[in-house]
Amino acid sequence: MIMDAPAETQRQIAFHLTGAPGGDLEPVDSAVRPALLAPYRDLPALRYDYPVVLVDDAIDEACVCSLTALVDDMLRDSAPRGVEGERVRRDVLRAEREIRRLVAEGARGMLSDLWARAAPNLADAAEHLKVDGELADCDHELPRRVVGHAWHSVQRQKAHRFHADVDRLVQALSDVLRAAFIHSEPGRRPESLQAAFGSLHRDQFDFEVMSRLLGRSAPLDELPPDRRERIEWALEVLRGQRFFDPAPGTTLAQSPEPPFEYRYSSCRAAVEAFRERLPAVVEFVKAMSIAELEADGRYARSQHDAFFQSFDENSLSRDELARFPDYLVCVHGDESGEVIDLLSSGLPVKVLVETEEVLAPEHFGVRMRSTHLASTVVGLIDVFAFQATSSSLYQLRERLLAGLRYTGPTLISIFSGTATPSSDLPPYLLSAAALEGRAFPAFTYDPEAGPDLASRFSVDENPQPELDWPLAPLEYADASLQRVVEQVAFTLVDFVACDRRYARHFARIPREHWSDETVPVDQWLALDPTEAEARVPHILVVDDNERLQRLIVDARLMHAARRCRELWHGLQELGLAHLRFEPAPVGETPTEAVEESVAEPPEAAVVEEPAADDPWIETPRCSTCNECTGINDRMFAYNDNKQAYIKDPHAGTFRELVEAAEACQVAVIHPGKPRNANEPGLEELIERAKEFQ
Amino acid sequence: MTPLLRQCLLRMADDHHSLEDYEGGVPRWCNGCGDNAILAAVQRLCRGEDLSLEHTVFVSGIGCSSRFPHYMGTYGFHGIHGRAFPIAEGIKMARPDLDVFVNTGDGDCCSIGAAHWIHAVRYNMNLTVLLHDNFVYGLTKKQASPTSPKGLKSNTTPRGSHLDPLNPLSVTLGVEGASFVAQAVDWIPQVLYDIVAAAHRHRGFSFVRVIQRCPEFMPGMLDPWLQDPSKTLLLTHENGLQLAPDLARIYTNHREHDPLDIDAARRLASSDDAIPVGILYRNPEVPCYEELRRAGQARPADRIRASLEAELDKFTVWPAGDERAAA
Repeated sequence: MIMDAPAETQRQIAFHLTGAPGGDLEPVDSAVRPALLAPYRDLPALRYDYPVVLVDDAIDEACVCSLTALVDDMLRDSAPRGVEGERVRRDVLRAEREIRRLVAEGARGMLSDLWARAAPNLADAAEHLKVDGELADCDHELPRRVVGHAWHSVQRQKAHRFHADVDRLVQALSDVLRAAFIHSEPGRRPESLQAAFGSLHRDQFDFEVMSRLLGRSAPLDELPPDRRERIEWALEVLRGQRFFDPAPGTTLAQSPEPPFEYRYSSCRAAVEAFRERLPAVVEFVKAMSIAELEADGRYARSQHDAFFQSFDENSLSRDELARFPDYLVCVHGDESGEVIDLLSSGLPVKVLVETEEVLAPEHFGVRMRSTHLASTVVGLIDVFAFQATSSSLYQLRERLLAGLRYTGPTLISIFSGTATPSSDLPPYLLSAAALEGRAFPAFTYDPEAGPDLASRFSVDENPQPELDWPLAPLEYADASLQRVVEQVAFTLVDFVACDRRYARHFARIPREHWSDETVPVDQWLALDPTEAEARVPHILVVDDNERLQRLIVDARLMHAARRCRELWHGLQELGLAHLRFEPAPVGETPTEAVEESVAEPPEAAVVEEPAADDPWIETPRCSTCNECTGINDRMFAYNDNKQAYIKDPHAGTFRELVEAAEACQVAVIHPGKPRNANEPGLEELIERAKEFQ
Repeated sequence: MTPLLRQCLLRMADDHHSLEDYEGGVPRWCNGCGDNAILAAVQRLCRGEDLSLEHTVFVSGIGCSSRFPHYMGTYGFHGIHGRAFPIAEGIKMARPDLDVFVNTGDGDCCSIGAAHWIHAVRYNMNLTVLLHDNFVYGLTKKQASPTSPKGLKSNTTPRGSHLDPLNPLSVTLGVEGASFVAQAVDWIPQVLYDIVAAAHRHRGFSFVRVIQRCPEFMPGMLDPWLQDPSKTLLLTHENGLQLAPDLARIYTNHREHDPLDIDAARRLASSDDAIPVGILYRNPEVPCYEELRRAGQARPADRIRASLEAELDKFTVWPAGDERAAA
């Protein structure tokens, strides 16, 4: 067929401008997926980050482990080289695939249980699994489960530190009371002495006599009543804590009442709980502080009474609050107004905002209130912000943990991609597409990461963050079955193409009408506006039969893509500021300055120059050997550094000066000239003194 | 990070001490004894660091130098011969918050306590150890010690000692786990102070051998070094010792030595030339035993009892039929 090329181009431009297909352009009425996602059709058959194991009792990064990584570790340990090892390897990988399939079909449970179900004949290999825990797939529950698990791991570490501190103080205060009891009159009674004695030789002692003897010989050492009262009050508060839930029998402090709950599903409930418990927190911090002073014997009523009387919630610092559990609030993107209010209050909260849909059904604007909540929060300066998609949550777990460990408020914004029934893609691929297409970029803002924005804000978590759109090689066979490889950008338009609701914004170009008049979306966006008017943007997709298709895109969607790119530029400017605004060195670099200061020798000790005839000592070289002070301690004395100087030259004789000089093994005493011309044996002494002048 | 309220309050209640606060009894050492110089340096360090009297402990064994705790105004434990290290380790395990110093002599450490010394180095607990080395047993009126020079005539070696002296630096540097080894001499007080201060700052087992004079039983032995400063080799480095200009003028024999270089440290330790003075080796990365064992955790009586019973139960023969017998 001979094409009417100009007319076809006109029809493509018309579709681009109006959205109305005509001519040979075909509507997109069947499911398509971006060409770059074509290889991932059968996800459970592939080895990738999910499902993950929420490892029991693990801390830091190890609290979330990928099944694939665990299996790799297991194979390293259990599969020997050679034929036998290859058989084990094959069986184990089959078991992994089966577990992945079971989890994708909705199975829940521990790794060990699912392993037993998937590969009952591989029980021996299962022993090489180093950890166990619940399996979690990349589904609608993933953000809540992973964040909740990581939060719990961080709180467990906090609890460990908290209990170590409280136990130490409870023990120290109990020891003070116990020591006071032993020294008190009741502590010296026969029955108390008997109770303190081992049973083996108890009968051989007369505790009545012992009590009388002790009562007579040792003075009573009672605690002052106000100190006893303070210590008992502090002990009662410490022992009655309800903030952390210890494992039974492992700590000294736990109230009989149940511990406080710290997980909430609404911002308001979390704030109310915080307010309600604030008096208990204040009382506890006060008790800890008093206990620390009392345990050290340094509570001074004159200094501390007034301070503790006026101690209230305003006396609590952020670091003080950070010792208590953080509140975990899990909400959906629609509650972003309340979330901002909560975060700006500075309370110790970790807020998980789950976003299930990025695109608003009614228009193509990227949903401001959900996707850009995190970037809005950056303006609050001291809030840790972490944004990611479900697909990247495993890879970025260290950032997530950093946010959970942060002492101030933290926002965790996750796109799960689970509320899009109009897409055939599984949540993992859909959320990955949102990340790749810059529809839901990942970033971290860590207020403690450095002194400037460039070091606090990071977009490194995104694929190829220095580019407008990430590029990847697309490999396919052309009409003559020849292998073709080309670099293709993944854009917002590719992400939108995954959703059937937006099919009207695309039109399929029959293969015979493919021409250079249409250009890839990324290139079209980079064109000069006048040049762009003559071209039509397209993307590459595959249909159900894995055939490559070219879809042209209408102007409304391209407008959204342009806006998305601008928003991405905004994030790039923040996150890549260190690349663009390298500070010029001013004068000497700080490193050089430091080196110089280190190399500088210590200040010289100043030795006062004496008058020529006066006796003197090189005091800084004195080795405190007591020779001179032993000869005459009125003439020679030690200074504040315990080094000798001549305190009073008139307090002794010239002979003593010469003898001291001779006795001084470091020869730092100089006797000078005699003051008394009538001193006996002066000539001989002057001769002996010569070598010390 | 803002400091915690409790830290602020404790700081508010801090006392500042003068050197006299750290003085205990009047020293009974001989005039001219190097122990006096070490005592002065340590007391200056305590004042300089404002160490709390009730949180500082000096532990010693037996010997002239081991009278040290009596002369400090802090806590102290005058132990038994050669056992200063285990006592100090026990204190540190029970109370890691305390500053623990060990004063030991060449006999106490290198002879009777040699086994404890080796393992103390290996444990690398956070202790500041001062080996007062005067090359002789002074308290027992001149007997040869492991560091006595070959040929020394003493009450126990009337015809002169037969062996070459043991080198405490080489031994310490040869033990796995050594983290700080330094040498000082009692007659250069500023350097002695700097080395003791560096040893105290180091987190780990800081071993400082102080070569000291014994005017009573080894008179004149160190005179060549006292009279000729060039026989003292001062080791300097930006991460080690730095000399004041007036000292550098007197002691002109310096050498740049990186305390991280253990091979160079071993060569220096075993050289027969000038006495090396300075920090021979320092490695802050070696873990401390008390931290590995998480010492200092609260151990209430009931928990100690429960763990003791659990241990003893392992050896209990239960009556037949008792369910615990099967466990």
